[in-house]
Amino acid sequence: MITLENVTKTYKNGTVALRDASVEIAKGEFVFLVGTSGSGKSTFIRLLNKEETPEQGHIYVAGKDIGQLSSWKVPFLRRNIGCIFQDFKLLPSKTVFENVAFALEVIGRPRSVVQTQVPAILDLVGLGHKAANFPDELSGGEQQRVSVARAFVNRPLILLADEPTGNLDPATSVGIMRLLDRINKTGTTVVMATHDRGIVDTMRRRVIEIDRGNIVRDQARGVYE
Amino acid sequence: MPIKADYVVRETTSNLGRNISITLASVLTVFVSLLLVGSSLMLRTAVSNATQRWQGGIEFVVYMNTNASQDQIDAVAQALSESPEVEGYTFFDQQASYDEFKRLFADSPEMVDSVQPEDLPPSYRVKPVNKSADSVKSLADTFRDRAGVKDVILASKTIQLIQDMSQSLTLIIVVVALGLLFVAGLLILNTIRMAMFARRREIEVMKLVGATNWFIRVPFMLEGLVQGLLGSIAAIIGLVAIRPLFEGWLPKASEIPLVSGFTVSTGSLIGIYLLLLVVGALVGTIGAGVAVTRFLDV
Repeated sequence: MITLENVTKTYKNGTVALRDASVEIAKGEFVFLVGTSGSGKSTFIRLLNKEETPEQGHIYVAGKDIGQLSSWKVPFLRRNIGCIFQDFKLLPSKTVFENVAFALEVIGRPRSVVQTQVPAILDLVGLGHKAANFPDELSGGEQQRVSVARAFVNRPLILLADEPTGNLDPATSVGIMRLLDRINKTGTTVVMATHDRGIVDTMRRRVIEIDRGNIVRDQARGVYE
Repeated sequence: MPIKADYVVRETTSNLGRNISITLASVLTVFVSLLLVGSSLMLRTAVSNATQRWQGGIEFVVYMNTNASQDQIDAVAQALSESPEVEGYTFFDQQASYDEFKRLFADSPEMVDSVQPEDLPPSYRVKPVNKSADSVKSLADTFRDRAGVKDVILASKTIQLIQDMSQSLTLIIVVVALGLLFVAGLLILNTIRMAMFARRREIEVMKLVGATNWFIRVPFMLEGLVQGLLGSIAAIIGLVAIRPLFEGWLPKASEIPLVSGFTVSTGSLIGIYLLLLVVGALVGTIGAGVAVTRFLDV
């Protein structure tokens, strides 16, 4: 599903975010990216949906070399990739329903699809009863559920999560992780960058550790360190 | 991928309302600059209409009698072709004169109705080799007494002056207007930039979930287009309002005997209005286009 071949990414200020990284992630895998802040986890994530481009190496997503992708095709790549973030990135002026519907509307899905898909996905994340609320009326955990719903409503092949539990307390984090696990069980490949030792050690999934741009560990059913 | 019309309309109108003061500034700048362009074009059309017969170096006109015989007409033509002092000439028969008359007085049908082709004299419009006043006068005089010639009328310095003045006036106005249009374009660019800044979170999410670049751009482009169009529509309304004043201010044909009809026909006005619409739309779209390509990178 995802292949990195000798990928190197250096930022303009000289920081090496990723050095000669080669990784293969199969369809349906659940992968944790761990490492200290600034180690290159976020860059790894951003390379996958082409928010960044590597200066060396090739990245294949769903069988396509995304380095060869012309810029007008990038949106179509991103329709196959859902993203969630530490800060949720919800639109404060829209209700929960509208936030999720927005993701379908802006890629031109017909209203009938929006009307059926959005309530279904809100039920899946357990927020069917809060559809008419605004994000600032929800708890952090609920807001993250909305953002998971938005990322998954289009049934992407891949779900990228950049520290999704970074702003949440441990109990709430467990709820979010259960949700991501359920999504993973539907066949969606999940790549999650995290600092959360407890989650990694409990879930016992594949762990890729990055240290100053180098992949120093790639372990099936691994732990945080 | 189809872009839904209701989405675009909703986004564009809410964008326009968001920055009402700076939107107004852009629209007014487009309005003022296009009003200038429009009135200078109107002036130019009026002058060229009035001095129609005197364009392209024509220095005098030989009018034949309306009842001049074909022989008399041919004789003048032969004299003109043989004279070494004549660079060129054009013959307007009665029908051609009538057509021209109809065009010049298109807005006064009662004048056109009162005249038939037979009432108008056929004429030769003559371009002499030597343009100095004395030699033109002596050349013109040689035709005055020919058989069948009714009159010979010389272009005076006034015509030259009017043409020159209108030309330099138009130039100055157009330069100023172009400067203003550039300013208008920059204002629109900034309006769009502010609109994009106000919506940066929406834009970020749209990119994230895979909205195409054009889907994101179109509402902003339309916002610029609407601003440009509003400005040009205001300018057209302004021109419609000042047209009677303008025509009242210009000298009447009777006040300057050499020229006819300082009027602007409705036909050429529509041409001017269309031009203003196109220019307004272009300024808006280009301003917005620069904004979205410079500041909306994916």
